[in-house]
Amino acid sequence: MAADIAADFAIEMIGITKRFGPLTANRDVSFAVRKGEIHALVGENGAGKTTLMNVLFGMHLPDSGQIKVNGAQVEITSPQVAIGLGLGMVHQHFKLVPSLTVAENIFLGMEIVRGGLIDSASQVAAVRALSASSGLAVDPTRVVRDLSVGSEQRVEILKVLARGARIVILDEPTAVLTPQEGRDLFRTLRGFTDQGMTVILISHHLDEVLEVSDTVTVLRDGAVIGTEPAKGLTEARLAQMMVGRPVDFGRKRRDGTAGAPVLTLTRIHARDDRGLPALMDVSLTVHAGEIVAIAGVDGNGQTELAEVVAGLRGPSYGRMNLNGRDIAGAPADIVRGAGLAHVPADRLVRGVDVQASIMSNILMGRQDSSAFSKGGMIRWGRVRAEAAALIKRFDIRTQGPDASVKSLSGGNMQKVVLAREFSQGKQFLLIDQPTRGVDIGATEGIHDEIMRRRAEGVAILLISVQLDECMKLADRLLVMFQGCLVAELDPKTVTVNEIGLHMMGASHNRKASA
Amino acid sequence: MEILTQVFTISLIAAILRTTAPILLVALGGAFTTKAGIFNIGLEGQMLMGAFFGVLGSMWTGSALGGLVFGVTASVLMAVIFSVFVVTLRANEVVVGLALNIMAGGLTISLTKAIFGVRGSIVNPAIVGMPRIHVPLIHDIRPLGQILSGYTPLVYTAFALVFLVWVILFRTRLGLYIRVTGEKPEAAQSLGIRTARMQHIASLICGVLAGAAGVHLSLGYIVMFAENMSSGRGFMAVAVLIFSGGDPVKVLLGCLLFGFADAASLRLQTMGVSSYLVLMVPFVVSVSALFLLSWRQRPKIIRETLQHLTAPVVAKGQGS
Repeated sequence: MAADIAADFAIEMIGITKRFGPLTANRDVSFAVRKGEIHALVGENGAGKTTLMNVLFGMHLPDSGQIKVNGAQVEITSPQVAIGLGLGMVHQHFKLVPSLTVAENIFLGMEIVRGGLIDSASQVAAVRALSASSGLAVDPTRVVRDLSVGSEQRVEILKVLARGARIVILDEPTAVLTPQEGRDLFRTLRGFTDQGMTVILISHHLDEVLEVSDTVTVLRDGAVIGTEPAKGLTEARLAQMMVGRPVDFGRKRRDGTAGAPVLTLTRIHARDDRGLPALMDVSLTVHAGEIVAIAGVDGNGQTELAEVVAGLRGPSYGRMNLNGRDIAGAPADIVRGAGLAHVPADRLVRGVDVQASIMSNILMGRQDSSAFSKGGMIRWGRVRAEAAALIKRFDIRTQGPDASVKSLSGGNMQKVVLAREFSQGKQFLLIDQPTRGVDIGATEGIHDEIMRRRAEGVAILLISVQLDECMKLADRLLVMFQGCLVAELDPKTVTVNEIGLHMMGASHNRKASA
Repeated sequence: MEILTQVFTISLIAAILRTTAPILLVALGGAFTTKAGIFNIGLEGQMLMGAFFGVLGSMWTGSALGGLVFGVTASVLMAVIFSVFVVTLRANEVVVGLALNIMAGGLTISLTKAIFGVRGSIVNPAIVGMPRIHVPLIHDIRPLGQILSGYTPLVYTAFALVFLVWVILFRTRLGLYIRVTGEKPEAAQSLGIRTARMQHIASLICGVLAGAAGVHLSLGYIVMFAENMSSGRGFMAVAVLIFSGGDPVKVLLGCLLFGFADAASLRLQTMGVSSYLVLMVPFVVSVSALFLLSWRQRPKIIRETLQHLTAPVVAKGQGS
């Protein structure tokens, strides 16, 4: 495989082991990246990708093993050392300062100073030059707060380039981008390697890994499973290497037809927290036994739509009907009483109380029901039995009902939310980003659970920024752009490209001018 | 009505500038800690220590400058204790700030008793107050001279600092790092900026200015020290900082409001309005100002009508 002469490698990590207490995050990992290639590092959450890159970038010191950069052995003790060696890291969560301009962000920590004052004109000029030579288009004078996610990412990459990086590490770069933006990014990265730079890409989007990278290294449970050229690999093979067993990728099989309308939204308008229009004229119907998916780039009104439907935000106009009851502007408990179960987008904010035990989390929202309380006292015995049953049914990996939710992995936390919401026999499910931050194995289980609810005749509104998820599960696919539903598509026939165009509002502008 | 015309005079403007100065000084100091992401409720105590040791230093050295050095040093010591607890030891900033405020109140009272053997206040001919600066040319022109001339150096310093603090915060590297530390510490740290150091520096600068503000109280226009002399000005500064976000220009405007309330209350007192009522004026003003600001920013419940919806809804050019 990768047995060329040593001088050809930009990065060599040899026998890296990194332990956190009892947990071994990296076990004797050897990982080599050739100069001028795009090398993808894939693996499930918790497989050790991020730890390995943090070791490389000097944020963790390895317990054993050595690192070579461009053939020379080095000791990377801090990110500053890594930067000095020509490494640059673009984090998944951007580290930009919202109130500063693009140029100020790029030069933060290495400002051009003249006479004690920051020379912003020179900084702006330098960013312009860098932007032109790298093909990353940004306006250096814009304030970062006003930028789109795609532009923010370009700023992050420019930040790394401005520090002289020749080896660029990107952590899940496409998680927040449209397919088109993703392709632009890959073209840029390819441009980098054409100039002799080296790119390491952390990803769990298998299709893009195969599309863009030259070499793929798979990690599982902290160890390297294999390093192979991307050419000749298939998605199914990669997934099997990652999970350790075959994974089903196809559209879910479905039977039965949609029944009567359960949720109806008519001309819903809503404002966001700043009082600006966030939803405009949204009308939709979800029938029993049907999954309606809302696709779109994050921040196009999905959050507000979910909040309006869940009774957490009052619409400014329009009507909403759930199971024959008017719920427009009704608070969450009324909406839940009318038949809503809600899996919120951010489980840490609205899904679970991480400090509390699993059984307390299972109880939440049902503390007044006679099944779990009597005379103002909670019947913990019953709660515990229910929690134990759900832990078994949903395959939640934990020590038991008393374990705190904090001790669970992201995927298992999500299962706690699903267990609570799915087990109440509600007729309508609002599911927002069900698999965000959940690994492939657990994702499959969650998708199966959703399909089971559909088969039981539950009406499901699925909001997801992951296109493949929408296409895999949905009976009908609606695309949201700037607060409007701009397209209704058939997931059986539509192409990713077509959805991407709708997500960027291409169809909408045509419609608006018509 | 007659009262109002008597209250609003040229000399009132001069009084406003005078009473604004100490709040402005301490609030500009607090601007640094606010921007660095520290909620500094200890301003009151730092000021009080500045006022007490200003008097002490002035007596011991026989000069107002000596008083300033003493007062500022004492206040900076308070700031060091504060930032060691809050930044280095990560203690809760409100608890530490309150504790230091209470300590300053008690310490100044007991030291007054221990050193001077009196309770309540220190009045002594040996205390040297701040000189007044008579600006040449302008001083004799009325009413300009009345407004612009004849203040102590700290008054001029306070107003000049508005611009200087703005330059430091928004045009220098130090200011940039302080702002980034407060706004997005993880971004700063990832680029090698030492956020803890920035917070210590901000706290020290704050201590210097709070101390100067205290010295202004005891050596400025009234040359004496009295128990609890800062009388809530540090808390007014905290209020100003909360709604200005530490922006120097907004800090100035907020402080002028309090300066006005302060000056007006002094004025009303001389007119025979009950002093108990008058003493409430600055606080009534601060509560009202906070109320008005939050009222303006309250979440608005918007109901659209059909007319709104048929017209283009947003500037983005989308019809419905």
